[in-house]
Amino acid sequence: MSINLLHRHVLDDHISGFETDPNPNHLSVIRRPVIFSVLAHAGREAEVAEALWNAEDVAPRFCGPSEWLAVSRTVGAETVAGMLSAIAGASVVDQSDGRVLMEIFGPSVRKILSRCVAVDLHPEVFEEGQSAAMLCCHATANVARTGADTFEIIVPRSLAGSVFEELMEMGREHALTRGFAD
Amino acid sequence: MASLITCPHCGTRPKEEFSIRGAAAPKRPSPTAKDEAWHRYVYVRDNPKGRYQEYWHHVAGCRRFLVVERDNLTHEVFGVTDAAEFERAGAAE
Ligand SMILES: [Zn+2]
Repeated sequence: MSINLLHRHVLDDHISGFETDPNPNHLSVIRRPVIFSVLAHAGREAEVAEALWNAEDVAPRFCGPSEWLAVSRTVGAETVAGMLSAIAGASVVDQSDGRVLMEIFGPSVRKILSRCVAVDLHPEVFEEGQSAAMLCCHATANVARTGADTFEIIVPRSLAGSVFEELMEMGREHALTRGFAD
Repeated sequence: MASLITCPHCGTRPKEEFSIRGAAAPKRPSPTAKDEAWHRYVYVRDNPKGRYQEYWHHVAGCRRFLVVERDNLTHEVFGVTDAAEFERAGAAE
């Protein structure tokens, strides 16, 4: 290992990245996620929330008291649109083209994210399955904990570049690798 | 300035996520109220020192308007409510 480091230039990863294989700490950019925004009509919040949480193949993400994102990485936009429009008291809009979904995971994920968000991500405070809108790398993002050391980040398309760069920079000391995923 | 605000919807958040939108206590006059009432509402505002109710917009979170009751001298925060609830409570009085 130490011999390797001697032969490795300090700027190596800046120029060619870390190994092409994912390291334990990895940032996946999901190629074609389906993301819908769901808004509950006044007074219908509870029933819409319940229907969303019971829906198959979509993961609900909490944005505000009457607003959610519905995310799917397995089924197509038509299927999701059909399913969501069947929910009474809700308006749905396809946001798949306007949002970018990234997944970050690994043993150091909390250390990396603690430089990106000002929210306590301890598992007792931000539990698995929990999601919220928050500032992430100075952009308005929706962050969800999908596993003990796995988080999903949804950002507006126009801010995805700068958020991606900043996540990579914050993860550099933990040898964060990156790549597309389906 | 109070640097941590506990949003009733999002939890404890840094002040950078919010935009402060002014005093919450003054009551908006009716649209047909006299010019003097509107002038007082728009331009003649107190600048109190101490305990104070203020609109905070959670721009980077749930995007709801909140009412933060805080002491602008000691930075102590006494409570945070959703502005819709604050409005309802005010109307009930
Ligand atoms: Zn909030």
